[in-house]
Amino acid sequence: MVIFGASGDLTARKLIPALYNLALQRLLPASFAVIGSARRQMTAHEFRAELHDAVAEHSRTRPINEEVWAAFARSIDYVATPSESAYDDLRQVLTRKDVEIGANGNRLFYLATPPAAYEPIIRAIGAHGLRGETGWSRIVVEKPYGHDLQSAMQLTSVVHEVFREDEVFRIDHYLGKETVQNILVLRFANAIFEPIWTRQYVDHVQITAAETIGIEERAGYYDSAGAMRDIVQNHLLQLLALVGMEPPAAFDDRSVRDEKVKILRALRPITPHEVGSLTVRGQYGPGFIAGERVVGYRKEPGVAPDSNTETFVALKCFVDNWRWEGTPFYIRTGKRLPKRTTEIAIRFRVAPHRIFTRETSTELEPNELVLRIQPDEGISLTIAAKVPVQGFSIRSVNMDFGYGASFMVDAPDAYETLILDALRGDATLFTRRDEVEQQWSFVDPIIAGWHEGRQELATYPAGSWGPEQAEALIARDGRKWRRP
Amino acid sequence: MAATVTKVDQTFWGAPASTIGALEHELGRLRRAAVAHAKEQGLAFARASVLNLVVYAEREVHARRAASTVEELALRHPSRAIVVLADRAREGIAASVQLYCHVPQGDATQVCYEQVLARVQGDFDERVASVVIPLLVPDLPVFLWWTGTPPSAARHLDDLVRLSDRLIVDSADFARPDRTLPQVAHLARLRVGITDLNWARLTPWRELIAQFFDVPTWRPFLDGITGIRAGFAVDMDGRDIHPSQALLLLGWLASRLGWRRVESLAPAEAGGVLFRMTRADGAPVMVRLRPRFERGLDAGDVSGVRIQAALGRATAEFVVKRAPDARHATASAIVDGVVRSERVVPLPELGIRELLGEELAIAGNDHVYEAALVALMALAPGLRP
Repeated sequence: MVIFGASGDLTARKLIPALYNLALQRLLPASFAVIGSARRQMTAHEFRAELHDAVAEHSRTRPINEEVWAAFARSIDYVATPSESAYDDLRQVLTRKDVEIGANGNRLFYLATPPAAYEPIIRAIGAHGLRGETGWSRIVVEKPYGHDLQSAMQLTSVVHEVFREDEVFRIDHYLGKETVQNILVLRFANAIFEPIWTRQYVDHVQITAAETIGIEERAGYYDSAGAMRDIVQNHLLQLLALVGMEPPAAFDDRSVRDEKVKILRALRPITPHEVGSLTVRGQYGPGFIAGERVVGYRKEPGVAPDSNTETFVALKCFVDNWRWEGTPFYIRTGKRLPKRTTEIAIRFRVAPHRIFTRETSTELEPNELVLRIQPDEGISLTIAAKVPVQGFSIRSVNMDFGYGASFMVDAPDAYETLILDALRGDATLFTRRDEVEQQWSFVDPIIAGWHEGRQELATYPAGSWGPEQAEALIARDGRKWRRP
Repeated sequence: MAATVTKVDQTFWGAPASTIGALEHELGRLRRAAVAHAKEQGLAFARASVLNLVVYAEREVHARRAASTVEELALRHPSRAIVVLADRAREGIAASVQLYCHVPQGDATQVCYEQVLARVQGDFDERVASVVIPLLVPDLPVFLWWTGTPPSAARHLDDLVRLSDRLIVDSADFARPDRTLPQVAHLARLRVGITDLNWARLTPWRELIAQFFDVPTWRPFLDGITGIRAGFAVDMDGRDIHPSQALLLLGWLASRLGWRRVESLAPAEAGGVLFRMTRADGAPVMVRLRPRFERGLDAGDVSGVRIQAALGRATAEFVVKRAPDARHATASAIVDGVVRSERVVPLPELGIRELLGEELAIAGNDHVYEAALVALMALAPGLRP
């Protein structure tokens, strides 16, 4: 496995801790080696020492098991690639590893660099013959995959100069989360949900991805991307696809991804003229998060004081197909919201005839099925129940299923799942070229509408649930956002 | 700064957590331990929370008493309790928050009770809500139990009330109910249901009074009430005057019967109140609320009510008093000087746990209580001693 961008944050926080945890669970192949590569000059010894500290800090299992780490660290190498000619050194190390550990020419390349470096690295992989003579070669490409449809297609064409589409693993780490995969299991391994998973029974769907963090050290990237490109284009549209897709004929990469593409294609486009009524964009001002005073977005280091980048997006969209005709999907995401949470809520219709109007002091809440992606992964269903004793009063209660308490294990990190899948060649949880292109085709006209000034940038205090306009977006339909 | 922070009792409040994320992680771990423990005993363990209960307290002894009460109620109202212990006294100290969490593992515990302590210090009024929001369990109603007297026009109270579906107070603790009860009535406008534990203490009294007038021949006296006398308990030296309960009883009668306006007749004697109200038909009603020393009662508890009525030439008195002892009530109806009915019923001793347990079962607004508060607001000018 070759990691480009090995001196970066992603490698230290996610990739190496994930590999270490795989090693801990005896899930790494016997002939496995990691070769880090970056511009910086350092020895393999220095590289390993850095990673040791990173794992000690970021691993989900702590403290670090020094025996396992020491054995795993022996398989880690480092090759500095400050210039293109250094890729020949990389090839030599790879060839040597083939012999030493019997890797048979199998290669997994991982692009953990800033996106500007993707194309030169891919071309260098091709030009310097880094693909093995024998065995398989695959490439994992991190997000962002392009910044619009055209750049995504351009990137794909460069990737295809060196790799076939079935060798390309576009990562969307949301798909590596247990609970996201569980959406498919809930829907297609249980017979009771699918019959009511339609416009007849579902009033609307809400998808929320809320972060409490600001932009941290990502100002350079974030200020040019914004929440739409950073979260909506990839993660939230993938969640929408999983919730809304038709049942695939089989659980394999082709069937699942074919169905996802179909629903993404059925997503009704939001034209630049409609962004005023169907979208909300916001940016956080100063406020409080968990008791701490935080600055507004424009005061964040590295952000222009007059930046118009959105840190909050709310959308109302429709899926134009037989199953979902007329059922709105409300989507929102933002930074500096009061709580870190990702969830999908399926709101069912109210009971058709109300026989308990006298017995309820307030309106009865309709049933709601909530899939909590993070934190506290689980599923809950609200049902109306009779309050014991007290005459006849009714109120909503929750049936709650939490993963942790039911299976007694910590869910693996998404990167563990995804890296293992890539090593095994299972692309089901990775995004195919046509999915990425559909996602950009949906997002591009909205961003274009914003650039034309068709939707004002609203500000919201840090620690609130977003701008008032987001409340208005859903309140216009007589609905309201959940308190996740 | 850390040196100035005194530690809380971790055997009670549980392990500290550095961040909200770490706290959720720790709660997950504790829940798993509880599940494992229950399984060993051959029991099933359900995480079946029905509500979020936010407790606001400014003294650890209050916070602790409240947390114990909520824990005792866990079987009936499994909940996540978020206890906010605010240290407002220490001026000039940097704002800080410390989190602790605790999941009890009794042998009988098959349902989940989770307790979080958020200890906030320093200039914290505008930050409190940002600590509480991420701790709330989604989808469940939020009850806010404000221990002590709610402040007037305070950011931290308003912010927490806005998060809540119901606000629970105990007007027995209000130092100046004539000022605080109208404020509480005002909070009802923030679209929150209000519960007063002191109001729940009145429930048997309201039932006994109402039952007099279920009797068809006495019912007409309801429109002919001419006077109300109510006594409420004080301690022996008569210094602490807590008329809230008696006032609420009066507010209830006034709101139900449409009594209006008020005129203070005399300076209130020994903390009591004496004034005149008018019935819907304009006839006067004389009202006297009087503090009395009585053994076995908590300060402020109603000790007795006497309702006088006249209908043509007939007169009637409807009396509920604590007799033969403090734990029993005797309800007597006296028409034209003859006792026509006398019943003795037990008066249950309602502790905070029983009162709270009843109130947590109600999710909607208590319109009768709110109407009684509004009636009291109209009385407010006459209440000032």
